[in-house]
Amino acid sequence: MLEIDNLKVHFPVASGQTVRAVDGVTLTLSAGETMGLVGESGSGKSTVGKAALRLVPSTSGAIRIGDLDVTKARGPQMRKLRSRAQMVFQDPHSSLNPRMTIRRAVAEGLILNTSLRGRALNEKVAGMLESMGLPAQFHDRFPHELSGGQKQRVCIARALALDPDLLVLDEPTSALDVSVQAQILRVLRRLHEARPEMTQLFISHNLAVVRFLCQTVAVMYLGRIVEMGSVSRVFDAPAHPYTRALLSAVPVPEAKRRPDRIRLQGDIPSPTALPKGCAFHTRCPIAKKGVCNVEEPPEIGLEDGRVVRCHFALGPAPE
Amino acid sequence: MDSLLDIRNLSLVFDTFDGTYHAIDDVSLSLKPGEALGLVGETGCGKSVLTRAAFGLVPSPPARITQGSVKLDGMELLGLTDRALRQVRGRQVAMIFQDPMTYLNPVFKVGTQLVDAIRAQHGGAIDRKAAREIALDMLEKVHLPNPLRQFNSYPHELSGGMRQRILIAMALAARPKLLIADEPTTALDVTIQAQILDLMAELVDDMNLSMIMISHDLGVVAQVCSRVAVMYAGKIVEDAPIREIFETPVHPYTKGLLGALPHPFRPADDLESIPGNLPDLLDPPPGCRFAGRCTFRRPECDAPIPLAEIAPRHSVACVLRPGAVTPAVAATKDLNHA
Repeated sequence: MLEIDNLKVHFPVASGQTVRAVDGVTLTLSAGETMGLVGESGSGKSTVGKAALRLVPSTSGAIRIGDLDVTKARGPQMRKLRSRAQMVFQDPHSSLNPRMTIRRAVAEGLILNTSLRGRALNEKVAGMLESMGLPAQFHDRFPHELSGGQKQRVCIARALALDPDLLVLDEPTSALDVSVQAQILRVLRRLHEARPEMTQLFISHNLAVVRFLCQTVAVMYLGRIVEMGSVSRVFDAPAHPYTRALLSAVPVPEAKRRPDRIRLQGDIPSPTALPKGCAFHTRCPIAKKGVCNVEEPPEIGLEDGRVVRCHFALGPAPE
Repeated sequence: MDSLLDIRNLSLVFDTFDGTYHAIDDVSLSLKPGEALGLVGETGCGKSVLTRAAFGLVPSPPARITQGSVKLDGMELLGLTDRALRQVRGRQVAMIFQDPMTYLNPVFKVGTQLVDAIRAQHGGAIDRKAAREIALDMLEKVHLPNPLRQFNSYPHELSGGMRQRILIAMALAARPKLLIADEPTTALDVTIQAQILDLMAELVDDMNLSMIMISHDLGVVAQVCSRVAVMYAGKIVEDAPIREIFETPVHPYTKGLLGALPHPFRPADDLESIPGNLPDLLDPPPGCRFAGRCTFRRPECDAPIPLAEIAPRHSVACVLRPGAVTPAVAATKDLNHA
């Protein structure tokens, strides 16, 4: 459904340097798959999502959504792409037009892309909003009259109105309170049950949320995928040292403090000056001099279908 | 043991054009020396206002404290002059906040700001050189890599985690008794958050510090605190040791919050979402403020319910608490026996 092959997105910055936001990402989502794309700020996860819908230009690499070539689409093809792939953003307040009723916000895509008009259009819009738990009395309200959770449900209804094949969700619950986040997560879970054929790319820094919603997960660090595979394998037996550290840093809602913590030293390096060799070697607890700081790790396939980029993914950590 | 901080029956309202907003209602909270308390609740529950109001940091008007007392080490803080409160803040009580960049001045070097703050903490009684010694010592204590270099950096040259370490160093340089940490890791990435939480737990132990950590995340609080108070709509609904909050929560709101949290290592089939919205605090319900969203609502919920102890150190404000047998509860029990 979605195929990204060796995607690179580089941004020139004022000082003449280049930010390598995405630096060679390859991933494939089959129809109906829900993949979580996780990483810390600056890892490039949002840029991958935006490039997939051509909201940012890609520097090189290929992106295909079904039979559409995203990087080369022009005119009518571009229009087709916009209706087949939709996005939901982190901040619902800034992604709704404050001067449009929510009915109008959801209708707009349908007016531009379909021949639905009049009563049929109204019914379709009302049906979309109601399926997101927003009954008729809300439909003529403006965004400022709704709570954050309600606004995010409007954004999801708007994204679904055109019945897209691909939905990209960029941190859709990060700006919400825990109980409201739970509401949205349940909506998305039900959505997956109601439309099993729709492919979802769920971008998040919250690993617990990804565990709840996704079947597969890709972990990004400094513009590259370091580990990718089924959620249960990656969470229960992480193979990359970065995945292990990331998982052990997650605050777990339990009274017991975890004994097996791995603490990374320092901060994520600047994407304008990526470290040589493995980009993670500057913070890696098992990095080996002469290997990790020299050679880029190859992509290694594990028996359970996972892909890991680490010199020591197969063997034990060096002494 | 005597309490370090003792807030008794504190109520605070905001006078707005729409009426009186009852932000904090009859809240009592005490903290022992060396204790780390997590104050947990969702947006608008009053957790930040409560801790700021206690130390005179909520401007009045519009805020008005209508009743209550706040004692720090036996000294009443409410009614103190601004001048006297300034002696308390910074020396006895220090605070750190969510966004470290906002609390550092972008045009001065970090070291200059540390030195100024430390001299102010001593009432100007020490010279810059002595203050610099204290600052460098503190930077080492918060495990800032290469303290001497960071001392001469500007805030924008540092990462979010490093800035938060600097603010922690600044806050703790005066050796305060109490640290208020208001969402100190919310703006940070998860691996950096873990570093800062480890540091805070270490400092609470090493410096015999008491702490109130405000957070919306029970998982974060569990890394550092030994006790949790859960706030909802301006009231504390449950106050208990951390283990009991997770293992035997009593208040339906506490249970709802726990049920709403996805767990990274235990895949769940479903999450609990709490239906409805916060009550309107311009016209709050007279009884339990959670009643409108509670699945266990019964007629008694419309009368005020005080926070009461159900076990040592475990208090709950709910008619469902063990011991608070009401006619309706007794009736259901009878039904079960029949």
